[in-house]
Amino acid sequence: MADVRLDKINKIYPNGFHAVHDLSLELTDGEFLVLVGPSGCGKSTALRMIAGLEEISGGDLYVGDRRVNDVQPRDRDIAMVFQNYALYPQMSVRDNIGFPLRLKKVATDSRLEQVDNAAGILELMEQLDKKPATLSGGQRQRVAMGRAIVRRPSAFLMDEPLSNLDAKLRVQMRAEIASIQRDLGVTTFYVTHDQVEAMTMGDRVAVIKDGYLQQVDDPETLYANPANVFVAAFIGSPSMNLVEGTLTQDGDQWSVELGDQTLRLDESVLANRPALAAHVNERLVVGFRPEDLEDAAVRSDHPADQRLRTTVDVREALGAETLIHFGINAPAVDSGDPDALDELGDSAVARITGRFSPRTQARVGDAIEVAVDCSAMHFFDRSSHLAIT
Amino acid sequence: MNEQTLRSRIGVHGTLLILVVWSVVPFLWAFQTSIKFTRDVASKTPVLWGYETTASAYNSFWMKDDDIQMWNVAAYIAVIAAVAAFFGWSGRRLENGRAFFFAAAGVIALGLWQFPNIWRAEDEYDFLINSIIVTVLTMLISLSIGLLAGYGLARYTGISGAVILIIALGFRALPRSAFVLPYFFGATRIDQWLEDRGIAEWDFPLIDVPFIDEFGVLDSKIAIVMALVAVNQPFTIWMFRSFFMDVPKEIEEAAMMDGATRIQAFRKVIIPIMWPAIIATGLFTLLLAYNEYLFVRVLAPTEWTLPVAIVSLTGGESSRTITEGAAASVSITLPIVIVIILFQKHLVKGLGAGAVKG
Repeated sequence: MADVRLDKINKIYPNGFHAVHDLSLELTDGEFLVLVGPSGCGKSTALRMIAGLEEISGGDLYVGDRRVNDVQPRDRDIAMVFQNYALYPQMSVRDNIGFPLRLKKVATDSRLEQVDNAAGILELMEQLDKKPATLSGGQRQRVAMGRAIVRRPSAFLMDEPLSNLDAKLRVQMRAEIASIQRDLGVTTFYVTHDQVEAMTMGDRVAVIKDGYLQQVDDPETLYANPANVFVAAFIGSPSMNLVEGTLTQDGDQWSVELGDQTLRLDESVLANRPALAAHVNERLVVGFRPEDLEDAAVRSDHPADQRLRTTVDVREALGAETLIHFGINAPAVDSGDPDALDELGDSAVARITGRFSPRTQARVGDAIEVAVDCSAMHFFDRSSHLAIT
Repeated sequence: MNEQTLRSRIGVHGTLLILVVWSVVPFLWAFQTSIKFTRDVASKTPVLWGYETTASAYNSFWMKDDDIQMWNVAAYIAVIAAVAAFFGWSGRRLENGRAFFFAAAGVIALGLWQFPNIWRAEDEYDFLINSIIVTVLTMLISLSIGLLAGYGLARYTGISGAVILIIALGFRALPRSAFVLPYFFGATRIDQWLEDRGIAEWDFPLIDVPFIDEFGVLDSKIAIVMALVAVNQPFTIWMFRSFFMDVPKEIEEAAMMDGATRIQAFRKVIIPIMWPAIIATGLFTLLLAYNEYLFVRVLAPTEWTLPVAIVSLTGGESSRTITEGAAASVSITLPIVIVIILFQKHLVKGLGAGAVKG
């Protein structure tokens, strides 16, 4: 068990493609760090460089105090769980889990004992004599985990280990992997494209896009204070609503204009974001999360000048909440997430999603007023997309 | 079962039956010819049932002496086969039974080696041994090269890999007869060179090559094996490449993360997955080498293998009878039929797609 440190790691493929730019991360001993990003953002490449399956083009990688750039994968003392599990099909579960020990020439008795231990932790005792092909997806996933934990490595690497499982099992395995990791206390580097996995499992989450690290923080901070538009849109589901707006000042009265509508900003909004005042009369990217919106009919005490007037386009009743989709006449903003659906229709009309209380009576086609919690708004620079705080 | 499925079943089974008869009857005809007396074979109305049987055709094809009790020979073969089968079966049943397979092969080799010491055998027996040596060597060399090359070409995606594959395919597409003379000329040149240097006269006291008196390439099994390996290589490379493409790269990577070197990952993880492919490709190579006529005839004027020996029977240059010819073709076919029956399960598994998925 050890720290893992990436110092300005770069990956440039022979065809000139620069997949990872100056990636610096530090995993403290026992930490669970999730690297999350859309497909093709370089996250798997980063993981494979740590594993030693991909050459590091520039920068230094340390496991513990040892620089391991030029160390063979097998000598790095790192275990990896692959997306497709990569179990050895001709071996039984017992042999699969015991394979690393067999290569280390561990005596048979102690090998079998350690395999049994790992199988016990993973509840695989019944499956030990079966071949991987006869196992379910979740069991295969566990065998892959077993093969990693039986070695007692310095660090685990996990490359989207849950993406081949169905939704229900994924939720279950998510919790299981997190709890096994906590029990073993092994430094873990986990790669996923699923921001829910990232938020629920990671001690810290690193968001990466196009090979550039965007932000590293604990999940709460990442959610509350996204560093830029991409992180804001990527973290959270449904994702943050992003529209272009103008910050205006009339005496002490600050407000933000979204197309033809205006929302008044409380003084606290400006007080909490000292840099914002300098951007007066500028076009900004304004973000607000779906849960900061509510049907004004439900929250009738909400100030009238902090409401948006619109018509309901789509209504999704989910039981505990109701998602209401509507449009407002302000330009939409592209967050740069290649996995996000293209905005439907006219980009001069931003599509907004609100997470309303199930008590809302709003139906498709109804004209409604939407209460906006302006204190939770996010502001970003329109050209750099960086947060203004 | 309704009428339509019944009718379609009859149709399917009828067609299959015709196909089976079509391919099996000639062989059955040859078999019954081989155990008849010449007078029955030569009679104007074919005698299909109730004829007297004799093993004299086999006797005169394989043995120098014409009055051998063929039952003794049959018993000898049966004992060898039974012992080998026992070892082979044990090897399959036991956890670490690889040694038993070697034991089975050893028993067969011992039986073949002792045979001429018990009975005086004709030249054809040497040709059988030649066939076996050529086939086994061709298989071993082709499979080793094919495995490594196929693995490399499956994992390497650069343009030169594609070029190699296309060239190999083109080589495969050329007619066999186009290669024979160049190989022949090449072999004569090498022999000439060896003779000029005096190497041909060398004694190799330590490696006493049993079947070669004078060191040379032409008219040796080396020439046949090298030519067959060259001709067969494109096929094995393509076969293995496509099998390796089905083995996820992550499996090797996992092995390497688990502490294996690249060689260990290949040997302990990839090769076991590839067994069905190795057996399937090996069987095709075996058929090619065992049945080869042209190369043997040209490159080895006297070191024949069985197909050449059989053709010489029917070529009109021989005084032997038609029953002997039939006995010869049964003798050459039976071993290969047995091998195919033993391995047909693996053959299907190896050729079936997705054998390694999961």
